[in-house]
Amino acid sequence: MKFAIAVFSPAHAPSSRRALRYAEAVLAGGHEIARLFFYQDGVHSASANVVTPQDELDVAGQWRAFIAANQLDAVVCIAAALRRGVLDEAEASRYQRPAVNLPKPWELSGLGQLHEAAQVADRLVCFGGD
Amino acid sequence: MTTLHVIAHSPFGDERLASCLRLLGADDALLLCGDAVYALRNGSEPHRLLQAAGLAQRLFALDEDVQARAVGNDLAKAVDYAAFVELSLHYDKVNSWL
Amino acid sequence: MAKSLLIISRQAPWNGPSAREALDIALAGGAFDLPLGMLFLDDGVFQLAPNQQPAAVQQKNLAANLQALPMFGVEELFACSHSLARRGLAADTLALPVQVLDDAALAALIARFDQVVTL
Repeated sequence: MKFAIAVFSPAHAPSSRRALRYAEAVLAGGHEIARLFFYQDGVHSASANVVTPQDELDVAGQWRAFIAANQLDAVVCIAAALRRGVLDEAEASRYQRPAVNLPKPWELSGLGQLHEAAQVADRLVCFGGD
Repeated sequence: MTTLHVIAHSPFGDERLASCLRLLGADDALLLCGDAVYALRNGSEPHRLLQAAGLAQRLFALDEDVQARAVGNDLAKAVDYAAFVELSLHYDKVNSWL
Repeated sequence: MAKSLLIISRQAPWNGPSAREALDIALAGGAFDLPLGMLFLDDGVFQLAPNQQPAAVQQKNLAANLQALPMFGVEELFACSHSLARRGLAADTLALPVQVLDDAALAALIARFDQVVTL
């Protein structure tokens, strides 16, 4: 079965970790992840600049590794990202901002990608709110 | 179509659980995770609310959250992530109360 | 056939970007002609209160954008009667034409959509 998973919270939020554990369980269960979509404060889960203390879980790092290892489609909503200062090279250049903090494997795109994923997936599951 | 509702917020001083229970369909289910598992605390108001709702086999709790908070659980079926995924497929859709 | 999506908006209008970002999901879906519905629940019903002055808190006019929903093909708009009553909002004074539903009708509403997003 195909899952679209949307994350609305930053890496330090319990729901972001929960979303990651859920996404892992989806793949472990033999299912597919059509897309991961990061919206609202979820764009911070994609930030390359997150620094976690050594004795804490690096959820942002784990998301990156999970996406790369499984070659998943990971989209960050561009409008939500800009508003929150999460920029890739193109946007940082466009708006002349000093820092690029959205690396590959993340892609910036629009809400249309969330809708497309919801249309192709058997289930749309959202995490966030904290 | 049936819905698996998911709540992750503490029920104390928050409307999500109360609103969800009002809208819950007869064949829907509720999964408590994060601080929402505090609703399972015996003797608490939300615990009474959940008991009154008579969800029987339709109330679930993410086990890691129950364990982390040392909440005694006499109402919900404890599930792990694999079971959470299966529940997502058993019900027709998932509605997370963000 | 396209899957239908119900967007449940629970936050008050000036409680950060949540109300606007819920609306953006609806507008984006409408632009793709997807079958959508929008439900205002809990503090979300405050988005429908009449005579709001967003400029007073240096915010954009959310109500004007909500009124654009039908233009984007999102005509199924609903509000929870319990949420309205609890907040002292009269159904006939709302800034947007919505169907006001009680709990049983809301349960049926949620049941008939293929997917739901609640924010």
